Amino acid sequence: MSARQAIQVGTKTVKPVLSSSQGEARSRVLSLYKAWYRQIPYLVKDFDIPKSDEQCRAKLKEIFLKNKDVTDIRVIDILVIKGQMELKESVKMWKQKGHIMAYFKPTEEPKPKDFLSKFFSSNE
Amino acid sequence: MLRQPLSRALALTSPTRAAPLAARRFAEQVQARPDNVEVFIDDQPVYVPPGTTVLQAAAQVGVEIPRFCYHERLAVAGNCRMCLVEVEKSPKPVAACAMPVMKGMRVKTNSDLTRKAREGVMEFLLVNHPLDCPICDQGGECDLQDQSMAFGSDKSRFTDIHFSGKRAVEDKDVGPLIKTIMTRCIHCTRCIRFASEVAGVDDFGTTGRGTDMQVGTYVEKMFLSELSGNIIDLCPVGALTSKPYSFAARPWETRRIDSVDVLDPLGSNIVVATRTNEVLRILPRTNEEINEEWLADKSRFACDGLKRQRLVTPMMADSRGNLTPCEWEDAIVAAARALRDCPPDKLVAVSGDLADAESLVALKDLLNKLGSENTCTEQYFPLEGSGIDFRSSYLLNTKIANVEEADFVLLIGTNVRFEAPLLNARIRKAFIHKETDVALVGPKVDLTYDYMHVGDSASIVKDLATGTSAHEVLKRLESAKRPVVILGADQLKTQEGSALLAYTQELALRLQDKLQDKNWKVLNVLQRTASQVAALDIGYKPGVGKVLEAGPKVVYLLGADAGVVTRESLPKDAVVIYQGHHGDVGAQAADIVLPGAAYTEKRATYVNAEGRAQQTLVAVTPPGKAREDWKIIRALSEVVGERLPYDNLDEVRTRMSEISPALVSYGDVQDNNYFAQARALAQSLQKPVSGKLDVQLKTLEDYFMTDSISRASPTMAKCVQAVLKQKQSPY
Amino acid sequence: MFKVISHTANLTRSQLSRSLPAFSTSATRLAGDPTSRKEAPIIDNESVLTLPEKAKERKALDTAIVVPVKVDLSPITGVPEEHVKTRRVRIYQPAKNAMQSGTNNIHHWEMEFDTRQRWENPLMGWTSTGDPLSNMKVQFSSPDEAIEHCEKNGWIWYLDIPKTEKQFKPKNYGVNFSWNRRTRVSTK
Repeated sequence: MSARQAIQVGTKTVKPVLSSSQGEARSRVLSLYKAWYRQIPYLVKDFDIPKSDEQCRAKLKEIFLKNKDVTDIRVIDILVIKGQMELKESVKMWKQKGHIMAYFKPTEEPKPKDFLSKFFSSNE
Repeated sequence: MLRQPLSRALALTSPTRAAPLAARRFAEQVQARPDNVEVFIDDQPVYVPPGTTVLQAAAQVGVEIPRFCYHERLAVAGNCRMCLVEVEKSPKPVAACAMPVMKGMRVKTNSDLTRKAREGVMEFLLVNHPLDCPICDQGGECDLQDQSMAFGSDKSRFTDIHFSGKRAVEDKDVGPLIKTIMTRCIHCTRCIRFASEVAGVDDFGTTGRGTDMQVGTYVEKMFLSELSGNIIDLCPVGALTSKPYSFAARPWETRRIDSVDVLDPLGSNIVVATRTNEVLRILPRTNEEINEEWLADKSRFACDGLKRQRLVTPMMADSRGNLTPCEWEDAIVAAARALRDCPPDKLVAVSGDLADAESLVALKDLLNKLGSENTCTEQYFPLEGSGIDFRSSYLLNTKIANVEEADFVLLIGTNVRFEAPLLNARIRKAFIHKETDVALVGPKVDLTYDYMHVGDSASIVKDLATGTSAHEVLKRLESAKRPVVILGADQLKTQEGSALLAYTQELALRLQDKLQDKNWKVLNVLQRTASQVAALDIGYKPGVGKVLEAGPKVVYLLGADAGVVTRESLPKDAVVIYQGHHGDVGAQAADIVLPGAAYTEKRATYVNAEGRAQQTLVAVTPPGKAREDWKIIRALSEVVGERLPYDNLDEVRTRMSEISPALVSYGDVQDNNYFAQARALAQSLQKPVSGKLDVQLKTLEDYFMTDSISRASPTMAKCVQAVLKQKQSPY
Repeated sequence: MFKVISHTANLTRSQLSRSLPAFSTSATRLAGDPTSRKEAPIIDNESVLTLPEKAKERKALDTAIVVPVKVDLSPITGVPEEHVKTRRVRIYQPAKNAMQSGTNNIHHWEMEFDTRQRWENPLMGWTSTGDPLSNMKVQFSSPDEAIEHCEKNGWIWYLDIPKTEKQFKPKNYGVNFSWNRRTRVSTK
């Protein structure tokens, strides 16, 4: 039984998904971010969600920053594609109010983080 | 049908069943083999040693020939005929399991003739096999089902249902573990061979011939073996099934989790079958270095004890001293208060039989943080001389698998058969296949094979060690090329324990120094419990004698159920905290009870008697409010105010690897050394000994209930009853 | 038609200087100077018919980019973070069922996640679980593939190598009847 080993170091050459350089991927991310940013007032109005523009922008920033450490260009591209799909679904009103609100996880109960409260609350 | 010459029948009764010397050399005559021969299995060439059977040669190239009677760990019987294959230039199909290969042999395992032969054999087997698969416990994991699907005919020619019908056989009663439905038997004789070769209980046999043939004990009696459950696995049909598991589940409904057994010190590998958060049965998992593919009965059948007598909620003693259920917060706070208010030198922790290495480490760390060094185990081990400083002093250094290679085994004060049944099975394997001889110092017990009984006085060990003994055993030991000395850890409890250990070390080292094979280890100490080796590795002090005399204020029992810590042995105002999974001896004496997880409910490390770390996996979640053991101690430490620096299992294991890398090198076992140093330090302890060696587990009824899980198991209780009843009226 | 011509013009523009006509009318093809051509350069249909965006995309795909060898797919797999970081994957070879002698279903490697709570559902008596990964057993032909898969997904894994290798020992029917060995069988 061997433990997890650091086997994967170095780089390799692969075919790109969309972008051929880090800069190109970055510009794609930024334009996606801008598109979302500009769309937020309309989304708030169209979906009639109980959130303000500022809250939505903060959430947008949070969601984008969650992946700030991704360096693989292909993964960035896929994330951009997925983000674009989400945007399109929102703009075209293929989503419903609940789907938009799901970004805010309104019904999720926060799980205990520290050891003691985890211990007392459940056996996982 | 007894088929042995008179001389051999007579030899059976003699105490030493050693074969004559001329025969003994036979085993050593295995010289360099001549070149491998080339055979062709389905036109694939394969090189195998001469004498290999066709079936084995086919297995080498990955061709599996169907079989019922053949089993690779049993003798070849060759009576089911399922393994018939076509061999070129042979006039009729040959039984692959018994046919040795010949040079240039061309075997066809999938030719028309072979398939026709198999179909014919299947048809004959099914003529007398009942069509009760829907109510048969073997359904879904039945070799006959599988093979009739794969090799049987697509139509039936059986029309005789209105006349004589199928053969029917009366069921036998062979005890509370094995259910027999003898009508289903296809006479593969695997159970008979297992009983006589591996279990060493020559009770099974066949009576009658042809349609009248029956497998059974002739006179109805219980199968008095500690390995009896294995014939359930061996039976290729549903003739022998598990009684406690009967009609409980189908194999496709259960989840199988690979785990490790903790009810004996060997750490056999097991598969735990569960459904709806309930352990249904335990099966062996092949590990060639430990249990091969066998499993002892306690490990296999005591799993129903996991559902009874469980501690499911924290408890505290109320004003009248009765334990009443409470919340985790209350119990932890109460325990923390007791620990904090206790002066460090009055704080004691005692670990029990089934404690895992993670919780042992956590508990020791907690006590050390509180300033106490009083962590100890229930089992004693002499601390004089090198004590537990060298790992080699308290382990099975030869290793279980290597015992097979031994040519002389000396057992000192141990009944291996019940203390470690599968180690005994290995010794028996060596006894049969390698002509190994065995000698025993200690009470005369039935080890299932013949041995030389040297006596039961401890001074014999001294005489052997000093070379002054006149007994034949000394000569045999000294002439042995690969001797093994196994000392039962139970003998070390007494006053003379340290001297006995010193003499055993002396004897073993004296033999080891003279060996040609420098890697062969002679000294073995057989521990009794699954937790002891890990506890000693971590630095627990063996034995509770001294710390109890000091009058402790707070005693933390980590699953200590052996009864060495009792209320009477403690001061009146002492607080006893019990952490464990069963309401047994320990919980009875406790003021605060913290419910822990049993070995099927946690991912935990156990170190077996060889010093091999293995981990159990979570099969089911702990019942009720019970929690994983190391987490309880970790939570307690935070409330006490001495937070232990690990929050998840990986961090605990990192801490364990700091203590000893051996604790986390799962599956592997290192070679031990430092024998000479231990021997030098033990020199001064070689004092005269006069006591008699005695073992705790003498007969089968002592074997079944030895720890908190097996004591809670109704099946084990039934076994004890059945064995006693069998003894009262044998027929 | 006009579209195609203008498209072709666009395609070749980069090679031509701005002051020169888009395509030559000469018959022979001389490198560099389009005025010396007698005929239009032959351009294959494929590249004529692809739209410029597509062509650009295809060109981009022909290039190569350099990425780290260690791929982490966890941001795009959609697996909740909790199940990436707190789960342990066991990579193992399935154990032979002790009740059966066939071995056809154990010649591969598998990965499985640690067991989480299961309970009996009161409605139908079936087993319920809150763990989305509890039934995910993936088969691989070698442990390396399994390890790579786990690494990609960011799971913590460990390898459980079964100790099933044993020394080859020829079996012999004759030992049952050997006159001087203990292997002789007494019962049948």
